[in-house]
Amino acid sequence: MNAPAPQAYRVLLVEDHPGDARRIKELLEWTGGSTAHPFKLVRWVKRLDEALSFIETEPVDLVLLDLALPDCAGVNAFAQIDAAAPHLAVIVLAELDDEATAFSAVQAGAQEYMIKSELASRPLQRAIRHAIERKKSEHDLEHKNEFLHAMLTTSPDRIYFKDSDSRFLQVNQTLAHWFGMENPADAIGKSDFDFFSPDRAAAKFDDERRIIETGQPILNKIEQEIMWNGSSVWLLTTKMPLRDHKGRIIGTFGTSRDITAIKEMEETLQRERNLLRSVIDNVPDFIQAKDTLGRYILNNQAHTFHLNEKAPSDLLGKTVFDYFPPGMASEYYADDMMVLASGTPIVGKVEPSLSAGGKKLWISTTKVPIFDENEQVMGIATISRDVTAEKLAREESELANANLTRSREDLMKALGELRAVQLELIEAEKMKLVGRLAAGVAHEVKNPLAIIRMGTDYMTRQKFDDPNIPTVVHEIQEAVERADHVVRGLLDFSAPKKLHMALSDLNQVIRHALVLVRGELGSNKFKIIEQFQGDLAKVRLDAMKIEQAFVNIFTNAAHAMENGGTLTIRTFMRQVTGVGENIAGSGSFRPGDTLVVTEVLDTGHGVPDALIGHLFEPFFSTKPTGKGTGLGLTVTKTIVDLHGGTIDIRNRPEGGACVTVTFRADDPL
Amino acid sequence: MKKILIVDDEAGFTRLMKLTLERTGGYQVLEINDASKAWLKAREFRPDLVLLDIVMPKIDGGDVAAQIQSDPSLKGVPIVFLTAIVSQKETATGGLIGGFPFISKPVSLDALVQCIEENLAKKAATA
Repeated sequence: MNAPAPQAYRVLLVEDHPGDARRIKELLEWTGGSTAHPFKLVRWVKRLDEALSFIETEPVDLVLLDLALPDCAGVNAFAQIDAAAPHLAVIVLAELDDEATAFSAVQAGAQEYMIKSELASRPLQRAIRHAIERKKSEHDLEHKNEFLHAMLTTSPDRIYFKDSDSRFLQVNQTLAHWFGMENPADAIGKSDFDFFSPDRAAAKFDDERRIIETGQPILNKIEQEIMWNGSSVWLLTTKMPLRDHKGRIIGTFGTSRDITAIKEMEETLQRERNLLRSVIDNVPDFIQAKDTLGRYILNNQAHTFHLNEKAPSDLLGKTVFDYFPPGMASEYYADDMMVLASGTPIVGKVEPSLSAGGKKLWISTTKVPIFDENEQVMGIATISRDVTAEKLAREESELANANLTRSREDLMKALGELRAVQLELIEAEKMKLVGRLAAGVAHEVKNPLAIIRMGTDYMTRQKFDDPNIPTVVHEIQEAVERADHVVRGLLDFSAPKKLHMALSDLNQVIRHALVLVRGELGSNKFKIIEQFQGDLAKVRLDAMKIEQAFVNIFTNAAHAMENGGTLTIRTFMRQVTGVGENIAGSGSFRPGDTLVVTEVLDTGHGVPDALIGHLFEPFFSTKPTGKGTGLGLTVTKTIVDLHGGTIDIRNRPEGGACVTVTFRADDPL
Repeated sequence: MKKILIVDDEAGFTRLMKLTLERTGGYQVLEINDASKAWLKAREFRPDLVLLDIVMPKIDGGDVAAQIQSDPSLKGVPIVFLTAIVSQKETATGGLIGGFPFISKPVSLDALVQCIEENLAKKAATA
C-alpha cells in the first residue's frame, strides 16, 4: 500500500539557454529509481518579465534564477523577484567566472547560489530543499517580529524587557513616552533608578531580583507611582521571568496598565459610599433595608443599636423574628410583604416597638419599595423614628385638656352656686337693713300711736255734750289700729324666717286659708268655686306660712273685686317635661319633677300692665291709700320662695287676674 | 291702792298713762322719763309693779330691769315691758322678752289693766 505522495516542491526555472534548461530539468526530476517525484518544474521561462508575471498568479515554492538574462542581469534580477514575492525562496545560477555576482545575490537575500558547470542532481535537489525550508523559517520569524513590533509600538500598556541586572533591554513606545523619551531605543541600558525615586526603584529592583531567583512571577500588583513630572498614577503591574530558548532565566519582562481613571472612579464611589454611610449612620432615625424575604441587607447605626447589636453587619441575613416578640414581628412582616406585593409605600405609621432594653416605644414608620435596574422590586427600605415622647405628650395634653374641661365645668357650677349664695347674702343683708328700718319706724310710730290710743281710751270714759264724740273717738281708735297693723306687718316682713316644714295636703291648707278670709269674702256678692284635684301629691311646707300667703292672695282678690265677683281656686299636678319649658324664673325645678300647681282666678279689675313687674316690691301697692300695706305680696313671695316654689301674677284675657303658685311635690308619683 | 312705776322716755305717753290709770281709781302712778334715774326712784317709791320701756336713750329697759332685779329692797317686784318693737308672732304667742312679760304699744286701757292685774296676782301667789 502506498502512502499518499507528499506534494512536490514547485519550481520555476528562469534560464535563457535551452541546453542548460534541459539539463537542469533532468537533474531536477531525477528520482534515482524511486517512484516519488519530490520536485516539479512547473514552468521554464527565458526572460525575467515572464517570471515576474508568472509568480504573480501561480503558486511557486522556489525560483531557479539564471543571473544572465536577456532583459536583466546580475543581482538586480534577484532584487526584482524578491521585491515581487518576498516569501519566495530563490537559488541563483551562475557561470564559473561569475561566482562573485552570485555571492552578492546571496548577501542581498537569495538562499543559495550554484555554479552551472558543477551542477549535479543530488546537490541541486538538497539545495532546493534547504532553500525552501530556510526561507519558510525566515518568513515565520519575520512574522513574529512583526507581531512583537506591532505590540510594542501600539499597545497602550507599558511593556519592557530587562536583563538580569534590571537594565532595560527594550521598552515599548508607551513606556518610553511615559519616561519622557521620543525613542524607545534611548531607554536601552538604563534602569528604574534613572526614572523613579531611589526607594521606588529599589523596591522594583528587589521584586525583579526575587523573580530571577525564584522564577515566581508577580501578578496584577496595584502600585501608585509618582513620575518625574510629578504626576501620580495608579498601575496594575505583572512581572514575569524572561527565559532563553533553553529555559534559563536571563532577565524579567512585564506590563503595566494605567488604572488611574478606574482607581479615581473607585475612590469617588468609595467617597460617595462613605458619605452616604456617614449620613445614614449619623441620623438618629432607624434606617434599614430588607430583601424580598424580609432579611436585613442594610442597617444604620441607630437601627443596629435599637436591635441591641454592635455592628450593622451583625444583622445581615436576620429578620424581625430574630429581634421582636412574635406578635410584633408578624405585624412588621405583614407590612413588609404588603409593600413588596403592592409596591405602595406605608407612610408615617405609628406602631409599637421595643427598645434595646426591652422598654415599650412608639415609632413612626415609613416603608417604601426599592427597585433594581430592571424596575423589579428587590426589597423594602424602612425609616422609623422614636415618637414615644411626642405620643405621651399628646396623650398627656389630651388628658390635661379633658381635666381642664372638667375643671371648667366644676368652676362654672361653683360659680353658679356662688352667685346664688351671693344673691342670698345680698337678700339677707337687704332684709337685715329692712329689719333695722322697721324697728326704728315701729319705735317712732308706735309711741305716738300709744299716746293717741291711751288718750282716746281716757276720753271714752268721759261724758261729753256732743253726741258725736264717741263716734269720733271710735274712728280715731280704728285709725290707730290700722297704723299699728301696718307697722306690725313691716316687722313681720323683716323678722327672721324659720320654717316648720311638714308633709301637707295643699288642698287642706287652702281650705283653711279660705276660712280665715271669711270676713273679706263671706258676703254673698262673692262666689267661690273650688276645683281641687282629689289625689294631690303631698308638699313639704310650713302650713302656717303658706296659709298666710294664700290669705294675702285671697285678700288681694277680694279687694280687686270691690263690687263682687267670682273667685276660682284650682289645684292640679303636672310633670316638668323639658329643659326649654318656662318655669317662671325659678331654678329649683328640674325635668322629671312633679309639680303641684294652684291657680287663683278673680274677676276683678286686674293689674295695669305697666305695674305688673313691680307687684312683689316692698311698699308697692295698687290699692287706695289705707287699704294695703304694700307688703302683702312681698311677704307672700318671700314665703313661696322660702319653700322653693314660684309665684306668678298675670292678667286674664277675659278680665281679672290669675295668680299661679307652684311647688314641687315631695315624692314623685 | 297699787303703786305703779312707769319708765319711758316718751313724756306724753307716761303722762296719759298716769292720768288714765289713776282715773280708774285703783292705782297710784309715778312716771319717770329719765331711765338712768329709774332705779333710784324705784327704791324711794317702792312700786308694786314696774312698766318699763325697752328702747330708751342713756340706758335701755333691759339694764334697768337688771338693776331693779338685783336690788334686794326691790326683790320680787314684777316688771312688764312696754315695747313698740314686737312682731305679730311674739304678741300672739304671749311670749317673754328676756324672761319678762311684755305689752305691745299701742295698747288699750282694758288690755293694760288686765296685764297689770294678772302680774300682780302672780306676784301675790308666789309671795
